[in-house]
Amino acid sequence: MKKRPLLLIVIALNLLILVALAFVYPHLMVSPGPLVKGHAELATDCFACHSAWRGASSSRCTECHVTAEVGLKTTKGVPIPSRTVKVSFHQELLEQDCMACHSDHQGPKLTKSSRKPFSHGLLKVAVRDTCSSCHAAPKDTVHRDLQIECSKCHESKAWNPAHFDHALLAKAELDRCESCHNAPTDRLHRQFQGGCKSCHKTDAWKPATFDHNKFFVLDRDHEATCETCHKNNDYSRYTCYGCHEHSEAKVRQEHIEEGIQNFQNCVECHRDPRVEPEKHGGRERSGRKKD
Amino acid sequence: MPQRPKLLTREVLPFFGSFAALALFALAFDGLLHLFDLLWIGRWLGIPGTLLIIGSTVYSLRKRKLIQRGQPAKLLRWHEWLAWLGSLLVLVHAGVHFNAILGWLAVWAMLINVGSGLTGKFLLDRARKRMEEARRRMRDRGLSEGELEDRLYWDSMTFDVVKQWRAVHFPITLAFSVLATAHIVAIFLFWGWK
Repeated sequence: MKKRPLLLIVIALNLLILVALAFVYPHLMVSPGPLVKGHAELATDCFACHSAWRGASSSRCTECHVTAEVGLKTTKGVPIPSRTVKVSFHQELLEQDCMACHSDHQGPKLTKSSRKPFSHGLLKVAVRDTCSSCHAAPKDTVHRDLQIECSKCHESKAWNPAHFDHALLAKAELDRCESCHNAPTDRLHRQFQGGCKSCHKTDAWKPATFDHNKFFVLDRDHEATCETCHKNNDYSRYTCYGCHEHSEAKVRQEHIEEGIQNFQNCVECHRDPRVEPEKHGGRERSGRKKD
Repeated sequence: MPQRPKLLTREVLPFFGSFAALALFALAFDGLLHLFDLLWIGRWLGIPGTLLIIGSTVYSLRKRKLIQRGQPAKLLRWHEWLAWLGSLLVLVHAGVHFNAILGWLAVWAMLINVGSGLTGKFLLDRARKRMEEARRRMRDRGLSEGELEDRLYWDSMTFDVVKQWRAVHFPITLAFSVLATAHIVAIFLFWGWK
């Protein structure tokens, strides 16, 4: 029991030293993170930015960073040669609330996401609606010739996702899908010469309004599953030998008999099973004895 | 030998279980805050956590007769729960990856304090069980002088251990209180409630 007062004194002294260290090394003992590079010299002078019991205040910031000079002059009064993007909006903010965007203490990496991002809502309406006062338009094929405001497609919170509406394009541009889109290179699409619009709509690539009859009419005798002709769901290829009716040997025999050597691409002549092919076009099957 | 499983399930496991549960709950809570990007909640949890810990000290005041109201046994249960819950909230608050050394020291002092508190609970429960067992045996059957002497010796030893533990628990609590107060004062001094 006699040792307790001594123990308590030792503990109390240690604690006093720790508290004293908070005054000597506030940037290590108290600071929530190192200051940004430009403010490194203020690391041990907490009250340069903070008011006691009231936190950091914008009025302290503007003592050095005069709002009217942000982006034009340094805090030392030296003119900045090239006009920076900061000029575009710091002078046009609805209110001076530096802490709404800035946090001089760089927290550990994991807390970065908790920092407040810039909010376009802080800007005066006129500046907010003129994106080009701060942002340069992309020069890619999609954006190059657009004359409309960014806000037609993009939100102010993030560039993506964008809500692009093809109706915003000029007629000439709208008809040239390839000026923005790369055509698919599969065998099915390779053979098309018509515009994408013949099968696809502008609001989405799928579902496509593909008209099978343009390539082969699926009549009553051909109400088969897709797999019968398009093996392994490969719609860029087909076979007519997938059913019992047409065997390769039988088809070869019939065509050779009529002197037709090139019969590999069936739909070249037999586009409509109801019509018997002729040299130029076709005639009704009823005009010939059924096979 | 049959005593060993009982010791494990009734005394050792609850002791480590409370500590492990504190760590697991804190990690899960902290993980959820990160997952849903709600770190700002973690920052504010320091306040309710501290209030709960302060609330838990009602028992300490009652034990030292600084206040006269309340049943000590009941207040002890509240002390255990409020301190555990408050520590959980403070731990989640600390999980928002602070930088300051003072904050770190306060959290480590708190964890040592929780460990010390759980040790005290463990010792006290054991002492209570021994006393109850001794009382029951004395009531049920007459003990020989030697047995009674032996039992009382062990009981007194147990009480001595509890007394010794109290001598350790107080300085730990003191250290935690000073460091936590220093951290809180520093925060309020520089923070602007934003």
